[in-house]
Parts: sequence; C-alpha cells; structure tokens
Amino acid sequence: MTQNLPISLSLLQPGDQAEVVLVQAHGQVRQRLLEMGFIRGVRLRVEKLAPLGDPMELVIKGYHLSLRREESACILVNRVA
Amino acid sequence: MPMVIALAGNPNCGKTTLFNALTGARHHVGNWPGVTVERRSGTFEHEGSTLEVVDLPGTYSLAARSEDERVAAQFLAAPEADLVLNVLDASNLERNLYLSTQLLELGKPVVFVLNMVDDAENRGVQIDVPALEMLLGGPVIPTVGNREQGITDLKAMLAAMARGEQLRCRRITVDYGHDIEGELTKLEAEICRDERLEASMPPRWLALQLLENNADAKRRVTESHASEAISHQLSRSFAFLEPHLGADGATLVAERRYGFAHGLVKEVATAPDDRLTPTSRLDAVLTNRVAGIPIFLGVLALVYSLSFILGKIPQDWIAEGFKALAGFAAARLPAGELTSLLVDGVIPGVSAVIVFMPVIMILMGCIAFLEDTGYMARAAFIMDRLMHLMGLHGKSFIPLIMGSGCNVPAIQAARTIENRQDRLITMLVTPLVSCSARLQVYIVIAGTFFTPVKAALAIIAMHFLGLGLAVVMGRVLRSSLFSGPSTPFVMELPPYRLPVMKATLIHMWEKGSIFLTRAGTTIFAGATLVWFLSRYPGIANRQWTAEYQQQRQAVQVLNLPPSESEERLRSLQLMHESRIVNTSLAARLGQKVEPLLRPILDPDHKRPEAWKDVIALTAGFVAKEIVVSTMAVIHQASEEPKTGELLSPLQVALRDGSGLTPLTALAFMVFTLIYTPCLGTIAMIRREAGSWKWAIFTVGYGLALGWGLAWLTVVAGRWMGFA
Repeated sequence: MTQNLPISLSLLQPGDQAEVVLVQAHGQVRQRLLEMGFIRGVRLRVEKLAPLGDPMELVIKGYHLSLRREESACILVNRVA
Repeated sequence: MPMVIALAGNPNCGKTTLFNALTGARHHVGNWPGVTVERRSGTFEHEGSTLEVVDLPGTYSLAARSEDERVAAQFLAAPEADLVLNVLDASNLERNLYLSTQLLELGKPVVFVLNMVDDAENRGVQIDVPALEMLLGGPVIPTVGNREQGITDLKAMLAAMARGEQLRCRRITVDYGHDIEGELTKLEAEICRDERLEASMPPRWLALQLLENNADAKRRVTESHASEAISHQLSRSFAFLEPHLGADGATLVAERRYGFAHGLVKEVATAPDDRLTPTSRLDAVLTNRVAGIPIFLGVLALVYSLSFILGKIPQDWIAEGFKALAGFAAARLPAGELTSLLVDGVIPGVSAVIVFMPVIMILMGCIAFLEDTGYMARAAFIMDRLMHLMGLHGKSFIPLIMGSGCNVPAIQAARTIENRQDRLITMLVTPLVSCSARLQVYIVIAGTFFTPVKAALAIIAMHFLGLGLAVVMGRVLRSSLFSGPSTPFVMELPPYRLPVMKATLIHMWEKGSIFLTRAGTTIFAGATLVWFLSRYPGIANRQWTAEYQQQRQAVQVLNLPPSESEERLRSLQLMHESRIVNTSLAARLGQKVEPLLRPILDPDHKRPEAWKDVIALTAGFVAKEIVVSTMAVIHQASEEPKTGELLSPLQVALRDGSGLTPLTALAFMVFTLIYTPCLGTIAMIRREAGSWKWAIFTVGYGLALGWGLAWLTVVAGRWMGFA
C-alpha cells in the first residue's frame, strides 16, 4: 500500500492523508501524543493550517486536533494516496 | 456518610453540564488542596438516599503529567471515592474510551454515561447500548445532558448502586496480550511483597503505570521497601518487551488500550456518515485562511464592548451610588474619626469591590459562552503562532486584550489556559497592559503638560508600551523562571455546540461570588489600611476638627445663595482633608521614600513637594481611579473643571505649583503604568496562582521595572534635549 519512506507529519499539506509510523518525541510530549491516538497504523487527514501558517488542524480517530509544527515534526507518517 | 461519586471524563464531553443537571444549585466550588485546579462538588437526593458528586477536571488520561491529571488520578485512587461515573461523548467514543480503559483498572465500580447521543445520531452513529454494557462490564445510561434527558434514569441507577446493588457489573480488564500480561504478572508479584504498597492501589494498575514509565508511580515505588526487587523486575521486563515487540512500554500499553477501544467501537457502533458535519462547514468560514482573523477580531471587539462599554453603565451606577451614600453620610454625621472611617474607608472600600462585579460577570459569561460553543479553541488555533513567538499560548491572547479594559477579570480569564506555566506567565504579564483606570491618570497629567496632539500621542504610547512590555516580560519569564520543558500544544478542536444558558449563568454567578469572597476581602482590607495611612494622625486631631466645624458654621450663618454656600463648604472640606493627608503617615512615608524616586520625579532637586506624588501613588495601590482624587486632596484643588475652562483647578495647580516638567510628567505616567497592579489585580493573582508568592512577585518586579523605565525616560529625554 505504502512503499515510500516515512516522512514527518509537518511536511504534509492540507488534504493529505497518512498513516502514523512512529512518534519520535520523548517524555511528556510522547505520552500526550500516544494518548491522543498517535498509534502505529492509525490513519489521519490534514485538514488545514491556521491563518498564520501554524498550528495544523488534523482529523484523527474521528475528532479534530491541532498541533504546532514543533510537535507534528516529531511524528513520522506514511503518506496514503 | 453519603456515597461519593467521582465524575470523570475527557474535556468537552459535557461533564460539567451533567454535573449541573445532577446536583442543580446544590454545589460548592473550591480548590483542590495545594493546587489551583477548581474543585466542584455537590449532592443530590434520590428516593431518600443522599449522594455526593465530585466533578474531576476533564482529562484525556490518568498519566498524572499535568496538575489536572494528577488531581484526577489521586482522587480516583483514594478510598474516598466509592464509585466512578465515566462520562463518554457518544460522538467521539473511541478516544473517550481510552480513559475508560484506565478507569477500569482502578478496581472500583464504574457507571458509564453515554452523553450527547443526539449528536452521535445526527452523525449517523447508532450505538448498541446493551452490547456496550456487556463489553464494558458496567451499566451504561444514554443521556443528553443539555436537555436533561436520561438524568432520572442515571439518578436511579446511582442510588441503586449506593444501596449496594451491583447492577450489571462484571470485572472487565483490557487484555494486553500474552507477552505484556506475562510481565505484568511478574511485576504484580514483586509489588505484592510490600503490603502497604499493595493496599494503596491495585497492583495491576501500578504495574501498568510502571511499564508506561510514569514518574509518579516510580516515586511511589522508591518509597517502598520492595523498591529494589520491583525496579529489577521492571528493567528485566523492558529488556524483554522492547526488542520483542519493537516499541517501548508506553507505546505498547497505549496501543493495546486503543486496540481495546477500537475493537469495542467496531462491535457496538455504526460508522459515521461521510457527509460534512455542521462543525466542518462552520470551520470552513471561522478558521478560514482569509476570513478567520477578521472574524476573530470582530468577536473580540464584541466581547470587549459588551464587557467594558455595556458593563460600564451599571459600574457607573454603582460608583455613583456609593459616592452619593458617602456624601449623604458625610453631611449627616459629625466630622471625626468614625465618620472618616465610614466615608473615606469603608464605603469606598466596599465600592471598590462591588464596582468590579458587572464587568467580571459579563466578561466571564462571554468567555464561558465562547468556551462552551467550542470557539475558544478556534481562537487559540488562530492566534497561537503570534502568541507562541511571545513565549505564550494561543489562549493568552484574550486575557491580554481584555486587560486593557480591566486587569481583574483578565486575570480570571486566564483560567481558560490549561497549562499551568502558560497560565502563570499570562497572569504575571497581564498587569502591564494599561487598563482604563490608568487612562484617567494619563488624561489628567498629559492634558496638563502637553498640547492636545502630544497628549493623545503620549497616551497611545503608554498603551503600546504596556503591550510591548507584556511581550518582553513574557519572553523573559519563559526563558528564566519557567524554562522547564514546555508542555506540548496538542489541543482538541471540539465540535461546535449550543451552550446551555443555565450553565453560563451558573458559571457567571460562581465567578462573581468567588471574586466577592476571595478577592473582595483582600481589597477591602487593603483599602482600609490605605485609609488609615493617609488619615492618621490628623483625623484624630480634635482641634483641627473643631476648627473645621467652626468654619463650616461660619459659612452656614452667612445665608449665601445655595450654590455659593455649597462651593465654599466644599473648599473648606478640601482644605481640611488636605491638612490631614499632607501630615499623615502616608505623607511621612512619602518624605522618607521620596529620595528613592528623586531620579525620576525630581532629577534637578528643584521640587520640594515631590513627596506629594508618593502619597498619590500609594493611594493608587488600592485602585488607579483614586490617584487623581487623591491628588485633588493633596493639592487642594478640585478635579472638576469650572464651566468654560479647559483645565481643571487640579491641572492648573499641577502645572503651576507641583514643579513637574513635561519630561518628569511623562516619567510619572510611565511609572504609573508599571509600578504596581491595583489591589483587585493583586488579590486575583493570589487567588488564581494559589499563593501570595506570585502576587508579591508581580508587585516587586513592577516596582523595579517601573522605576527603571521611568528613569530611562528621564535620562533619554534629557539626552535628547527635553526638560
């Protein structure tokens, strides 16, 4: 299904869909992201960027979440067509 | 003892609405011991049994990493909590069930509330309740909290549980898979070596937290005599699991929990429709790249005008009412200490408290409305980039802007910021934002010493200086006192919902009464103290009082026309008060302190009366509104301009008699902006930050920063050739 190398979530554009591969953060950030559903294999869709370009809004597990680039940069995903 | 029900759930799951529906008006708001998290508890009765409900802070998990989570996790594990009531948002079931998997591990009976089932049905999600009960091992009651549907069923169920009927309860645990379960069993065996540790919380729950690398759980273990054996087993478990399953403990546990939640949802609920939800359609406009910011600014302008323009009307009535009351009392009672205590101390003190109420209640109502609709999260989403550059959070924007109306409710508005560090920084810099009370001081001073155009420029400059300083201090605080690891910005954008009017009203009332009881007493005490400082010993001087009364009588027997008589009496009163204030403890203090302020207020040593400014500034500690009226008393000149004249007698006195120059007047304005927040703000910081420490810190840094910048103003001004 997905052959390309995983990329950072922060590189995705609005409308892109992806599957979570790995959360590279540590400590509190990592725990929080895991709890919010960033688990291996979970599908997400980038909804939009805030008017000033950051943070990003995405849909994961059926709800809407916003992430700053700092956090989205440490989530590796595989783009899904 | 009534049975205690702990109300747990995610943020935005309608928990508070449900709490209100259950307990009605019978609830109490306080703080959890040692932290600044609000604790709401209440009771309800059902068929003769009384039950107590404690509303826990909304959390996504019990990992105990934030203040909120720690409070929730500790209360749920404590013996006090008899039963857990887990509120689930039916339209977002999977993520809500993540917390449930943790609640089930606690070993206490859990009743589930499937809230907002109407929202879920609108999205095409049908939930099989009996199947959900089977899989969760506890009763599930569908409700629509904001329409109070299902509340009676819920009360009946809770009352039955209180009587000891374990209805539809089975022990359900998440299956973590063969490998993890094996390690959990080994860890549990080590934990059970210490009986006290075993009794303090279910061993399995502790073992899971250890596998997740939870700092609180690890701390608990270090206090145990079995700590070595447990740590040893833990490292062996990590050494086995991580290479074997290809991830660390935290990931593995989270994966299995979500696996459980995902499987459960697949089993009991139909998939939502693909069509656009009303929320997506609204967000297409409200967080639109182009329209998002203008709409947000519009909302902000509306909230601002409602609070500070509409709210000013009742505020003026209250202020006028108390002034009239003080005037009435002064005219009827004999001059002297007790009258002064009442007229100059108690009545203005009470007025200084009550006067905040309309603004606080309106602004808190607006903010509750924005939060309950879900727009607050969008506001933070829109502004976060800008605020993050300043070391703050997207949600700090609204308190900062509202600070320009009044700092007191602005500090209260910072409560919407979940993270404690972000909230503290916002509260500590908000007093730098120039409020409308300080504007009154600028108007008098700038109007006296500058031409109208320059005066307007100077006043605008003060506002920008305040905002700019808030930004700089935000960055400084972030990189000094709050340089610890910053918490992630992972913010849910909840679906838009229509708020319940009743909840908003309850919230407004709560905020207002908290202000009255907690901050009100501080303000009142401070106002009385400042009254004492500025009246004694002169007010107790019998001879002065007798002289004043003689002079009054002398005017009264002249039979002058009422207006002239009144004017003479007023100037007599001003003279009498001026004599008292200018010889008061505050004046002595002013003379003592004046050398410290000389570089900014009297750089040329040409102002023998610079100490009078210090009295006015001391009064400004209570409220900036009082600075001008105190100056009027000190300089024995009315603050009301005579008809047809541009400057008031006070302004003329300041211009001709005070020795202030345009440059020192500007320095005075700068100092007034920064030197200290008013008592209301200080009391509010104390209450919201949970300790006097931060309130005192705010005053201290304000004084230092204010002095420094006022001094710079003088130095830079002279260097540029101004006098």
